[in-house]
Amino acid sequence: MILLDRVTKNYSRKSSALKGVSLHVENKEFVVIVGQSGAGKSTILKLLTREEQPTSGKIIVGGIDYDKLKDRKIPYLRRKIGVVFQDFKLLSNKTSFENVAYALEIVGMSNKEIKHTVPRVLEIVGLSKKAKSYPSELSGGERQRVAIARAIARQPRILIADEPTGNLDPKHAWDVIQVLERINKYGTTVLLTTHNQDIVQRLNRRIVTISDGVVVSDKAGRSKGLKAV
Amino acid sequence: MMRHIITFKRICVAGFRNFFRNSWLSIAATAVMVVALVIVLSAVVLNVATRNAIAELSTNLKVSVYLQPDATKDQINALQSELSGNQNVDQVTYISQDVAQEQFIDSFKNDTKLLEGLALIGTGTIPASFEISVTDLSNMEEVGNIAKQEQYATIVESVSLGKTDVKKTIERAAATQRFITTTSVIAASVFAIVSMLIIFNTIRMAIFTRADEIRTQKLLGATPGYIRGPFLVESSMYGIVAGIISTSLVIVVIRSLGSKIANNAEFIETYALLSDPLNIVLMYLGSIFLGVLVGVISSSLAMNRYLKIKHW
Repeated sequence: MILLDRVTKNYSRKSSALKGVSLHVENKEFVVIVGQSGAGKSTILKLLTREEQPTSGKIIVGGIDYDKLKDRKIPYLRRKIGVVFQDFKLLSNKTSFENVAYALEIVGMSNKEIKHTVPRVLEIVGLSKKAKSYPSELSGGERQRVAIARAIARQPRILIADEPTGNLDPKHAWDVIQVLERINKYGTTVLLTTHNQDIVQRLNRRIVTISDGVVVSDKAGRSKGLKAV
Repeated sequence: MMRHIITFKRICVAGFRNFFRNSWLSIAATAVMVVALVIVLSAVVLNVATRNAIAELSTNLKVSVYLQPDATKDQINALQSELSGNQNVDQVTYISQDVAQEQFIDSFKNDTKLLEGLALIGTGTIPASFEISVTDLSNMEEVGNIAKQEQYATIVESVSLGKTDVKKTIERAAATQRFITTTSVIAASVFAIVSMLIIFNTIRMAIFTRADEIRTQKLLGATPGYIRGPFLVESSMYGIVAGIISTSLVIVVIRSLGSKIANNAEFIETYALLSDPLNIVLMYLGSIFLGVLVGVISSSLAMNRYLKIKHW
């Protein structure tokens, strides 16, 4: 599903964010990328969403070779990848329903389809009752779950979550992780970056550790599901 | 296809919403554009009015060639054919002595003393003549010189180049027309540039304000057209609103002034032309087109500079 082959990313001559990183993620896999701030986790995700281009190396996602990807095709690539950000990136003047609907409007989905899809997605993330609430009326965890609902509304094959629990307290952080687990069970490949060791331990999934732009370890998870809390 | 229509509709709705959301900036951008368009429209209207007035005054300005009473028919025909063959001549009309006398009597029918005097002198007092209208007033003298040639000295009594006061009026009108054209081009250009700068800044501020929203749109898979579209609709709205306001203002002025001057022969044609519903529609469409063009150009410049749409 995702292949990074000896990928290097230099932002300047002196600093390398990634140094020859190779990573292979299978279809429907749940992979946690861990590392300190500045280790290169976010750079990997930016390369996958094509916000950045690698200095060298090859990236293939869902059979799409990024070397051959033309600029005008980038929006269509991103429609196949759901992205969740640490700072949610919700539009403050829109309700939960409208924020999720927004992702569907962009791809030209009809109002009828949107009215059918959004309530189902909000139900998956457990926010059916908050459909009419604005982001300012939601807790941090709820906001992140709206962001997840927006990311999965188009049923992407890959979901990238960049530090989704970074701004949340432990309880809400765990709620968000549980939602990601559920989405993975439905068949979506999930790539999660975090530096929260508690979450890493409890998730018990494949863990790729990055340090200073290099993959230092890649350990397979022991379980397919969550540990009992 | 259906998706494209839905997307187009959403882009338009977003553009409308942005236009009303930035109401103060929209008012400023539209107001300056109204001033620029009023200047352009006024220049067009004044040009049409002066051109028609000049044309109307010019019909009274003709070269008159008065003939000797003893000129033979062959000599008269020879002069007429040379005048008609000249490229500066529009029309040549021969007025015989009898016709000239009738016209004179008709012109002074209220002046009984003059007519009594004329009756005493008898017929054949008013000479036969050619009345020549020219294609360009500046060539009047050249046309007059044809009749002043040596070969026609025996048959031509005198040559008149029209009434000098009318000629001066026409020259003044032509000079005014040139002045109006020059000043309006300069003024309209200045206001068009100011209007472009204001729209440029309005769109630039909108791009900065919505930077997060634009980045989210990009990452959610919005195409460049979907992101640019609302900005283009917003700037087109300035042009549409400004076009409607400016044309309406100019039409109101034409209507209120027109009722006072429409009876003057010089302005009859202009007023009729500007009152024609088809021309009014064309004025609206023209000013809206100009306004939209200015809006789209300036917002495109702002987007190319600040939207960074190429750097996905």
